[in-house]
Amino acid sequence: MDRAFQRTQILTNHLLRSSPPPSPLSSNACLSYSPPELSENHAFDVKEMRKLIDGHDVEERDWLFGLMRQSKLFNPRVRGGKVFVSPDYNHSMEQQREMTWKRIEYFLERGVFKGWLTEEGEEIEMRKFAGFEVSSVYDHSLFTKLGVHFFLWGGAIKFLGTKHHHEKWLRDSENYLIKGCFAMTELGHGSNVRGVETITTYDSNTGEFVINTPCESAQKYWIGGAANHATHTVLFSQLYVNGSNQGVHAFIVQIRDADGNICPNIRIADCGHKIGLNGVDNGRIWFDNVRVPRENLLNSVADVSPDGKYLSSIENPDQRFAAFMAPLTVGRVNIACTSVYQSKVALAIAIRYALTRRAFSLKPNEPEVLLLDYPSHQGRLIPLVAKTYAMSFAANYLKMLYVKRTPDSNKTIHIVSSSFKATFTWNNMQILQECREACGGQGLKTENRVGHLKGEYDVQSTFEGDNNILMQQVSKALFSEYMAAQKRNKAFKGLGLEHMNKPCPVIPSQLTSSTLRCSQFQMDALCLRERDLLNRLVADVSKCKSEGESTQQAFLMCYQLAEDLSRAFSDRAMFQTFIEAEANLPAGSLKDVLGTLRSLYALICLEDVSYVRYGYLSVENGASVRQEITEICSELRPHALALITSFGIPDAFLSPIAFNWIEANSWSSV
Amino acid sequence: MASSVSSQQDKVLVEANSSARIITLNRPKQLNAQSFQMIYRLLELFLVYEEDPIVKLVILKGKGRAFSVGGDVAALVRDMRADDWRVGANFFSQVFKLIYLIATYSKPQVSILNGIVMGGGAGISVHGRFRVATENTTFAMPEVDLGLFPDVAASYFLSRLPGFFGEYVGLTGSRLDGAEMLACGLATHFVPSAKLPMLEAALCNADSSDPVIISSIIDQYSEKPSLKEQSVYNRLDVIDGCFSQRTVEEIISALEREDVHHMDSWISATIQKLKKSSPTSLKIFLRSIREGRLQGVGQCLVREYRMVSHVLKGELSKDFFEGCRAILLDKDKNPNWEPSKLEMIDEGRVECYFSKVKHEEWEDLKLPIRVKFELPPYVIAKL
Repeated sequence: MDRAFQRTQILTNHLLRSSPPPSPLSSNACLSYSPPELSENHAFDVKEMRKLIDGHDVEERDWLFGLMRQSKLFNPRVRGGKVFVSPDYNHSMEQQREMTWKRIEYFLERGVFKGWLTEEGEEIEMRKFAGFEVSSVYDHSLFTKLGVHFFLWGGAIKFLGTKHHHEKWLRDSENYLIKGCFAMTELGHGSNVRGVETITTYDSNTGEFVINTPCESAQKYWIGGAANHATHTVLFSQLYVNGSNQGVHAFIVQIRDADGNICPNIRIADCGHKIGLNGVDNGRIWFDNVRVPRENLLNSVADVSPDGKYLSSIENPDQRFAAFMAPLTVGRVNIACTSVYQSKVALAIAIRYALTRRAFSLKPNEPEVLLLDYPSHQGRLIPLVAKTYAMSFAANYLKMLYVKRTPDSNKTIHIVSSSFKATFTWNNMQILQECREACGGQGLKTENRVGHLKGEYDVQSTFEGDNNILMQQVSKALFSEYMAAQKRNKAFKGLGLEHMNKPCPVIPSQLTSSTLRCSQFQMDALCLRERDLLNRLVADVSKCKSEGESTQQAFLMCYQLAEDLSRAFSDRAMFQTFIEAEANLPAGSLKDVLGTLRSLYALICLEDVSYVRYGYLSVENGASVRQEITEICSELRPHALALITSFGIPDAFLSPIAFNWIEANSWSSV
Repeated sequence: MASSVSSQQDKVLVEANSSARIITLNRPKQLNAQSFQMIYRLLELFLVYEEDPIVKLVILKGKGRAFSVGGDVAALVRDMRADDWRVGANFFSQVFKLIYLIATYSKPQVSILNGIVMGGGAGISVHGRFRVATENTTFAMPEVDLGLFPDVAASYFLSRLPGFFGEYVGLTGSRLDGAEMLACGLATHFVPSAKLPMLEAALCNADSSDPVIISSIIDQYSEKPSLKEQSVYNRLDVIDGCFSQRTVEEIISALEREDVHHMDSWISATIQKLKKSSPTSLKIFLRSIREGRLQGVGQCLVREYRMVSHVLKGELSKDFFEGCRAILLDKDKNPNWEPSKLEMIDEGRVECYFSKVKHEEWEDLKLPIRVKFELPPYVIAKL
């Protein structure tokens, strides 16, 4: 009875809050929107912070954002007095595809892609990454269509082709006279590319390759661009020369003419409607004795002479196959980096909403409490902000690693990109879900983006390398590093494993707040877990092998340890990039807030179940970590707006609930 | 001193009619160029009117054939000895504070643009809720001619015009008439000048701060003017294609490509105009409008204040003084820009204009705090 009375009181108060008695239509009658920028202060320079976490090409990014903001093609809508751009997801699949294509044409006319395939060097590669990140903030379909064309099709020609392929295809591709796709996955074979069933044989009489889809499981599947737009594809197929199988090779095949008619002996079908990404025309392709000239073999790795001799500079078929997978590496780098931007979008929206939306009063007659003033809400969102900062630094490290690549760094790039791609895309899905829930029912509306992004970005956890398989590769690589070091009796070098050479770190039995915030302690704790898990994996695999299992079988049986190890590697590697970013800063407010974020990131890593499972943290220490996380979240609360403003996502790319959501939903806006 | 203040007060006239206040810029011989005192007076009036519960509406107009040609730059340059750029910076900081106040004003403002509107004249009108153009209106942001750049939060309002029309208007200083202002959204209404007295009377009788009511009153006197056939606004396709390019150099080459295809005198004139303007001004303005497109009006003013302080300080370039000399003082219309070519200005040099000014007494623009008033949604959307 008392409670009911209290509620009535609160409601009455709301209705009567503004001093002149409200007329029935007065907009001041109850809650009013109070813009967070008027009440929240920036304790550090958000522009500098954005520069630091974007890492590069800030001006290029703003130009691209501006291009989209200003064009009708990007579906601008006014809500609450502000313009928002976002695709109309209520369009049919066909309409979405058409619009995606028109947006690409618009970019093309504005010179966005200038140099993307025809120029070399770190600068253009970084600018390209920036272009992809920005496109992804608008729409994943736009990003994916561009990614398939430039990174997969264009990348395959660059990496797998030789001079005459480059001359013949790259400029026309950059100008979209040719629209490329990438036919690797089949219905029956995804991650296991070596098992694809498409067959290509060399006909030395005509100097042509003959391509066939021998069975239904060999149909090419999920080929982005194939269903509507692509004119050419890079086809991955088993190559038979003189009856002997030389393994998987890549060929250029035209699948449509310039007018968009499907070429003879090619059959194409649609993959149909998807849970997201409907602006991408994924298709299926069958080849029926399709003939292509000998030059269409992308021959940087291996070639076939006119008279039908197989020639390869790489003798070892494993290494040869690895060389063919090169274009996928850059795709993984790109996916990892763009997933971070979705987390930024979602957190910027959820935190802005939490700074303006109130719920429940603590005492009668008091105003209701801002969502972000609840410790529980801080505990849900602020650690994710820290994680997103960690991912940003790690992404910048990964991009630099990639653009500065040397033959020696290929292995590192493969391992780090696999690990980060899996970790970031998983984190992203977790962040999107939390943000969607943190926005309550508003998170459900497509126009508010956070919920919808889940469907759009879910695919990232399986395309261009299934996350679980990528993480297995990481632990396998760490295992091999261990074996190699042991065999040669050499120290660990590379992949950040040097800590293995040092004495095992010791975690203090009592963790004080200052220890928990000490970067050395944090690093020790992360290294300790990685080191121990690697030792355990080696021991368990050896044990299985001593019981007569093959190495492969032994690995399968130790999958749980392998999973924990790969996560330990990823957390530690990300943390290292955070430490470096922080170390490079001069003393000041920026460095201070980053130090706090870094501690928060480290401590949420220590909350991983493996710390308890393997006993790296005592129950008491686990409790100390937990308490410190709460403490840091409340310390970061005053910086929340500045931290998400530094993400640099323009207002137009956020959503109505991030701004004046009362006005956006008012009767006059209906 | 007292007499000079009172003579300055004549430059801004005030009429109090019921709940409306009519502010008239009264310096017709100088086309209502804004002196420091006028700015100060306007600031004072706007602050008082916002506090005063009786005042519901502010009407702003100009006496004579201009609404206002903007800040009194000629006087500023005369007053500003080379070693005391901070006098100029202080002027701009007051102007920018006034503009922020206007842009975030809690009561509606109707600006009657019955004549020339340039630079700072746009600053004190375009950010207000209603802008009434007439057949006498001529609008331009010609700062690049002077070696300055469109400031007064032009990077906010120009960047929000359709497509890349704002880049065009700011980079070329091109003149727009009332119909064009209405078409692109710089004006909210077009009222023939003959009807202005009736409009004013009606507004004074409105006794309302409700923008819907004010708008419907102005609607009653409004007309839909048609664009002239040769209006630049009919060339939006070309403008969008060219002025959306990454850099000033690329904008010019895009225009040159168009020129080859179309042999069009408007395009050639546009190219000539761009080539005559201060290369530094063009580059910093392009960067400014591109940033402004993604920022709130306050952030735009803070950034522009940094830029204008660098311009006045004159260490990076003296184009502003050269431009004022050539256009306003010597009137030879032949400025010698330094650097003289676009390609001589690299990104690093442009970047300098966006950094804090290194001087112990200089600080970033401090915007008036606006939490006190209940801001209408159209204001909140600008933050």
